[in-house]
Amino acid sequence: MAGFANLFYNTVVKRNSVYVTSIFAGAFAFGVGFDIGITSFYDSWNKGKQWKDIRDKYVQDS
Amino acid sequence: MAAIQLAKKAVSLPPTVRTLASGVPSAPLVNLSVRELVGHGHAHGHGAVGPRSDIPPQWVSSVTASSTSGLVSKSFANARTTGVFQKRLLHSTLPAQIEPQVPDFSHYEAKSDATNRGVSYFMIGSLGLLSASVAKSTVTEFLTTMAASADVLAMAKVEIELGTIPEGKNVIIKWRGKPVFIRHRTQDEVQEARSTNWKALRDPQSDEARTKKPEWLVMVGVCTHLGCVPIGEAGDYGGWFCPCHGSHYDISGRVRKGPAPTNLEVPQHDFDDANGLLVIG
Repeated sequence: MAGFANLFYNTVVKRNSVYVTSIFAGAFAFGVGFDIGITSFYDSWNKGKQWKDIRDKYVQDS
Repeated sequence: MAAIQLAKKAVSLPPTVRTLASGVPSAPLVNLSVRELVGHGHAHGHGAVGPRSDIPPQWVSSVTASSTSGLVSKSFANARTTGVFQKRLLHSTLPAQIEPQVPDFSHYEAKSDATNRGVSYFMIGSLGLLSASVAKSTVTEFLTTMAASADVLAMAKVEIELGTIPEGKNVIIKWRGKPVFIRHRTQDEVQEARSTNWKALRDPQSDEARTKKPEWLVMVGVCTHLGCVPIGEAGDYGGWFCPCHGSHYDISGRVRKGPAPTNLEVPQHDFDDANGLLVIG
């Protein structure tokens, strides 16, 4: 645990430029991942209720 | 050796009023011969009757009146120099004895400084990450409220069937309150538009940059000078001519002569090849 903490401190935190950059990069990744996660949860929660799920019953692609 | 030990004998001395700088006690104006008052040998609340405590006993010192040399004082002891007495208010030993023991906090301290530091910085970074996400989301959502809604965007599009426009003809339609010229150009006109030395023009723009398909020219029909609507198939260059102030546009809609500063604007447009439609907007 202490080794991991030291590794984290020495690689990420020690230089403020690296720290801030990684925070912003992490914020971007978090935003994308959060969006994907919430969307997939919404789709699974409303399974069979959305238009994209029931489109096959009403529209025949010619 | 014995004489020194004799000299260090401790005695009681009368209290002094003050101490001289040299350390010698000074008690001026003390009447050393005062004794108990005559007829005062009774107790009425001022202590036991006896010799005064502020006068040294006779065996230590005495003051006698001599007829030859006046007042003679005899002391049988070396008085210790008292010096200037200063209280030592700073001390370190006494409170440790008085105060209770400081509790043992070792149970609450971090087991490992490295882990503690890593976790602290991780928590700080995580909060920063979440804050940055919230800030970015807030700004994005706020800017989205300024964008046009989907129904407005749908109404802002115009579709034209290209099959109805014969070659070499102009069509003027209304799009967002402005006229839009659609020209079905002939091959000769395309050749003419593409062979022009466009780099020497006032607003240098190639015909390839202005059209998505060479035979279809789509432009907003508003003169870039003062907003008149130019007349099609007129002017010195076979394109458009603005009657208000005499600007000439060529077959690619580029200004060639007159006061107009820039070429006619090309709106955003797309071709729907499957249905033969032109979608403007």
